[in-house]
Order: sequence, then C-alpha cells, then structure tokens
Amino acid sequence: MAVFMQSLISGILIGGVYALIGIGLTLIFGVMRVINFAHGDILMVGMYLTYLAFTVLGIDPFVSVLITFPLMFLFGGFLQRVFINRVLKAVAQNQILLTIGLGLIMSNTVMLIFTSDYKLITTSYSSSTLKVGGGVSVSTPLLISFLITTAITAVLYWFLLKTDTGQAIRATAQDRDAAQLMGINVKRMSIIAFGLGSALAGTAGALISPTYYIFPQVGAVFTLKAFVITVLGGMGSVVGAMLGGILIGVTESLSAVYISSGWKDVVVFVLFLLVLLFKPSGLMGKSRT
Amino acid sequence: MPKTILKAAAGLIVLALLMAIPKYVESPYALHMMILLFLSVSMGQSWNILGGFAGQYSVGHAAYFGVGAYTTMMLMQAKQIPPWIGVWVGMVLVVAVALAIGSICFRLRGPYFVLASIAVAEILRLSAINLTTLTNGAEGILVTELPAFKIGERVVTDFSTKVPFYYIGLFLALLTIGITYSVQHSKLGYFFQAIREDQDAAHSLGISISLYKNIALGISAVLTSLAGAFYGIYVGFVDPPTVLGLDVSVQIMLICIIGGMGTLWGPVLGALVLVPMSEALRSNMVTDLLVRVGLVNADSKVGLFLKENLAHAHVLLYGILVVLVILFMPDGLMGFVKKLARRRKQEAV
Repeated sequence: MAVFMQSLISGILIGGVYALIGIGLTLIFGVMRVINFAHGDILMVGMYLTYLAFTVLGIDPFVSVLITFPLMFLFGGFLQRVFINRVLKAVAQNQILLTIGLGLIMSNTVMLIFTSDYKLITTSYSSSTLKVGGGVSVSTPLLISFLITTAITAVLYWFLLKTDTGQAIRATAQDRDAAQLMGINVKRMSIIAFGLGSALAGTAGALISPTYYIFPQVGAVFTLKAFVITVLGGMGSVVGAMLGGILIGVTESLSAVYISSGWKDVVVFVLFLLVLLFKPSGLMGKSRT
Repeated sequence: MPKTILKAAAGLIVLALLMAIPKYVESPYALHMMILLFLSVSMGQSWNILGGFAGQYSVGHAAYFGVGAYTTMMLMQAKQIPPWIGVWVGMVLVVAVALAIGSICFRLRGPYFVLASIAVAEILRLSAINLTTLTNGAEGILVTELPAFKIGERVVTDFSTKVPFYYIGLFLALLTIGITYSVQHSKLGYFFQAIREDQDAAHSLGISISLYKNIALGISAVLTSLAGAFYGIYVGFVDPPTVLGLDVSVQIMLICIIGGMGTLWGPVLGALVLVPMSEALRSNMVTDLLVRVGLVNADSKVGLFLKENLAHAHVLLYGILVVLVILFMPDGLMGFVKKLARRRKQEAV
C-alpha cells in the first residue's frame, strides 16, 4: 500500500508540471487553432535559461522562474509575431510543419551552443525528501515545483476569468471573427496567448530542471506528452489540461512501478490512442474556460 | 505529341546515364551519395502517395520504415534468412501494422490523425527498445556479412562493392516513381485527390473514404518498408532512433514537402536538394570551402568552431529550410518552379 501511495503522490506532483505544459499548449490551440509542435522545444529553451541562470548568475532554479517566465513570454510573442502569424489561415499541415521546423531550429541551435552533453543542475535539495508518514516520502524539489505550479495555475485562471485581457483572449478562442467585430484586437490576443503558452512551457522547464537531465533533444518527449495531455483533457480546455496532466503523471508513475519504467511511455501512448478512438473530444469535451 | 516524345527521350537518356554511372565512376563516395539519393527519392515518393495525393499527413512513417528495416535485419541475424526473402516478410508485417494503424487513425481527421500517427510510431520505437530478446534493444542489430545472391548456382553478386546496392537503389527509386505515376493517372489517384480536396464531398459522391485511405496507406507503407529494408542491409546496422525515431518521420515528410506534395517530381527534386546539402554539412565540405575561399581562417576560433560543430548542424538546416519553404513557397519547390513558369508564359503573351 505504501508503494502505491508513494507512486500515486509522486505521480500527482509531476502531473502538476505536466498540467502546466498542457495548459500552455491548449491555450495556444484554443486561441489560434494551431497545434504547436515546438512546445517541447520551447520548454527545453526554458530549461537552458534556468541552467544559465544557475551556472552563470548562481540563481536558484525555482527563483529563476521570475526571469524565465517574462523572457519566455517575449520569446513566444516574437515567434507568434514573426512566424506563426503568417500561417494562421494556411492549411493545418503547413502550420504543423512550420512549428516542427521552428522546433528543429531551436533544439539544434541549442546543440551548437551547449553541445549535446547532458547537463545537470545539482542543488542542495535535489535529492532530499520529506517524510509524510506511513512510509511515504515526497521529493522536496517535486513538492516545491508542484506548489509553484498550483500558484501559477490559480493566477492564470483568475487572469482568464476576471481581467479584460483574459476575457478578450477567451472571446478570441470562442470565435475569432466575432471577437474582432466586437473590437477586440485579435492579433494582439494571439501574441499574448502564444507568449503565455510559451511562458508556461518555459516555466515548466525551469521547474523540472532540478530533477531532470537537460539536453537539446529533451523537447520531443515533452511535445508528445503535451499532446497526450491536451487531447486527453479536450483540446482548448484549460481545466481539461489540468486534469489530463495529473492523470498522465499518475499513469506514468503507477505503470513505472507496476509494469516497468521502460514501458511507462508506451502505456501513456496506448491510453492516448484509446482516448482518440473512443472519446476524441477528450474528458472535458468542447467546453472552454 | 512531339512534346511527349521529347519527354520520353529525355527520360530514356537520363535512365541510360544512371544505368551507366557505376561502369565509369569508381569512387565509392560518389556511389554512396547516389544510393542515398535513390533512398531519399523512394522514401519521399512513398510518403507522397498518402500525404501528397490522399492528403493524410502521417508524421509516423518511421513506423513502416522501421518495421521493414527491423524485420529484414532480425530474420537475417537470427535465422540467416537472406534479405531478399526477409523483405517479403517485412512487407506482410507492414501491411498488418498499416491496417491496424489505419483502422484506428483514419477515424480521426486533421491534427488528430497527425498526433495518432506519431503515437503509433513512438509505441513501436519504445517497443523496439524494450523487447531486448527480439530486437537487441537500444544496442541495435549489426549484420556485417550479406549472403551472396545466387540464381541457381551462378553467383550474381556477393555485395562486396557498392555497385549492387546502387542498382537496387535505382530500381527502388524507379519503382516508387512508376507506382506514383500509375496512381496519379488512374481512377485510384482521382479518388485519393477527391478525398484530399474535400472528404465530405468525396463521400457524398460514393467514394468509400476509409477503403481508399487504407489503400493509400497500404501502398505507402509497403514502399516505405522496402526503403527501410534497403537502408538496413545497405548500412548493415539498425537501432531504434535511426530507423524508428521521430526524426526519421520528419525527414521522410520533408523530402516530399520541400520538393512539392502531390506532384510526381516533387520528391525527386526534394531529394536532389536535401541529400547533397545535408551531406555537404555533414562532411565539413562547407567549412573547407569557406577556408579555401579565404573567408575563414582554419586555425582561428571561428574556423575551429565551424569545423567542430557544423557537421552536426545538418538538422538545423532542415529546420531553416522547412520554415522558409512553408512561409515563402507553401507548394514546395515544384510549385515555385511552376509558378515562375506560368508567370513567364503570361509575360510572353
């Protein structure tokens, strides 16, 4: 039982970070109907920013979120403005290819700068754990990252529901043309949405960097995971992405324990195919925040 | 009429030249480049049938490439079954995989299909890593010696040079081009294109969507598996990332997209652009050229940096190319060339 609880809890904790990645992707999809295949690579850029902040400036990875978030927001806004914006009306496969291309450019540029060596951020708490009782202990960095994720998600939720800009973003997601007729600057909303999505992915990168290897190709894994999460939750649904993230985290963690760590990703992909087959609209259907 | 005769004559001359190359060119490197070119043409052309004509953008073609390569290599290593027999087993397996994938993925449209195709390829890649008893896991399968190919008692070739591979590659490229041509000019091709242009309209005209999508996938998958098997025996080594990785799927697509989807010569053009370009980067030719021209000093920091890193950067170039092609030539090089030709014609009038 302790093993079960242990893996369940660590699954939920890592699921929080997955949720952040998924929310970013779903936000971008919701507003622009573009599937961002560079999402994992954006996360990877966030990881390297954190790595730089840690090694050059000596900033703690969790504190560096304060730098990563705004920088990645600008980076995402730039991507939207210069590249994505030009293919909004294009056929879906061209959008997909463009983002694949952008992802390749990011990962290979990083490889040129940092080489493809694995990097590690070792902090004083990297391998420390908190005893919860009942034989269950929780990894400290995972717990901190989960708390930060929850805070960010709460603020984001408030932003989307209560602020004018948030409402404008949701309006654009619901109906781009109608939103434009209502005087909403949809171009600006798209830039903000892509910026936010990238900032969330970058932040997720920063949050996992104390517990994960950092290397240029790390993005591909997370791009796929982000898709699984958002499809599971329902494309465009923020709440769905949160649920999806935690569900995937738990699935991975449980199947690593009860099946084998080599097969855990297979289990996730099979689950993904099953969802596509039987409920392609995802857990939260078509609803959007 | 004279135009078609001209075209046929040009085709025959090119074919004769290609057939004659190994007789006069002895450099293994030149032959290697040609073999890579043929391989790329057949990979791009196979994807073209499903992606270009039927409009189903599979980003998981590594699945078929990998199954073809792995089956042939596994049979050769474990059971000493020669590749020209193993390849058939590979094709049968690939059809089975393709039908399974088709029945799942073709219920989905657009982005969902893309995602499902990636997921299937990833499942296969991870399985190849984990099923160590069958596939040797992450270490991959190495086959150093190919059995000699005999007809009766006569040894046709013992695969000691690159020449037999050259002709197999050429045959494969011609085969895929031929099949694409016959698809393009048949009812099948029209059905595919109808599905690509408007699935619902095609359906209402009585075209069985799932049947024809599966046929397109089947043809495409079998040809891709042939290319995969050829890659396996030519290189003599397969491991999960090189034949089943997402990069492979992207590369297969790129050949077609850069050249021009849904056209007969697009993938050929794409291969002609991509193969030399990535090879030039990989072999440090670009750095050498920059040094020789005098732009960069070989011993300077920049020169050393380029020498060290540019070889790894050919994928970066892929990325840049894709972005440029999508933004400025969404119909690929072929579309771009056609547009230029049209413009010139208009100006002439």
